[in-house]
Amino acid sequence: MSYMMYILLFGLVLGLVAVASNPSPYFAALGLVVVAGVGCGVLVGSGGCFLSLILFLIYLGGMLVVFAYSAAMAAEPYPEGWGSWPTLRLMVGYVLGVGMAWVLLGGGWYEEDWGGFDGLVGESVLRGDVVGVSVMYSSGGWLLIGGGWVLLLTLFVVLELTRGLSRGALRAV
Amino acid sequence: MTPAHFAFSSAFMLGLAGLAFHRTHFISALLCLEGLMLSLFIALSMWTLQFDTMNSASLPMILLAFSACEAGTGLALLVATTRTHSTNRLQNLNLLQC
Repeated sequence: MSYMMYILLFGLVLGLVAVASNPSPYFAALGLVVVAGVGCGVLVGSGGCFLSLILFLIYLGGMLVVFAYSAAMAAEPYPEGWGSWPTLRLMVGYVLGVGMAWVLLGGGWYEEDWGGFDGLVGESVLRGDVVGVSVMYSSGGWLLIGGGWVLLLTLFVVLELTRGLSRGALRAV
Repeated sequence: MTPAHFAFSSAFMLGLAGLAFHRTHFISALLCLEGLMLSLFIALSMWTLQFDTMNSASLPMILLAFSACEAGTGLALLVATTRTHSTNRLQNLNLLQC
C-alpha cells in the first residue's frame, strides 16, 4: 500500500514535470490529465474518496475537457512533443532540480501513515470527507452563496471579455 | 519532509516554474496555472485527510470553484487574444515593445 502511494506521488511530480517543460499544448493537456488521475489515486489512498470523485468529475470532466478543446487554438503543423530538444532539456533540468531538493530537504524523520485514519469509521454511515463537505451547506451557507455569486459574476466577466464590437477585448482580425 | 508534503510542494514549484518560463504558447502557461491549482487542491485535501480535521474538507471544494472561475477567465483571455492577434503565440503580443 505504501509502495503504491510512493509510486502515485512519483507520478504526480513526473506528470507536472511533463506539463511544466512546456511541450505543445496537446501534450501538456495530456500530462495534466495524467496528473489529475494520479492525484485522485493519492487522495483515495489517503482515505478521501469523495474528494477524489469531485476531482475526477469537476476538474477532469469539467475543466480539462474545456482546456482540451481550447487547445485547438494552438494547432500547429508540427507539434513538438517531449522528444524535441528544448523540451527535453527543460524536463531533465526540472527532474534534476526536484532530485536536488529531495536530497536537501527530504532526509528527516517521518512517520509513514498512509492508512487514512478516519475518525468516523465504525461510528457513522458516511465517510469523514463527505461529512466535512456537508459543513459547507450547513454552517458555511453564506460561503456557498458567496461562491455562487462569484461564479455568476465570472459568467459576466467572460461575456464582457469576449464581447467584441465597440467594447471588450475583441476586434475582427 | 514527508514524501506527500514534498510531492505536492515540488509539484507547485514545478507549475510555477512552467508558468514563469513559458515558451511559445499562451495556453501552455494557462495549463501550468491549472497544474498549480491542482497541486493546491491535492495539498488541501491531504491536509484534511492526514490531520483528520474534517471541517476543512470544504476548503478544496471552494478552491475548485474559484479555480474554475479563473480558468474560465483565462480561456476568455485566450479567445480574445486569438481573435485579435490571430494566434496565441506569445511573440505576437508585442504591441508594447519598443
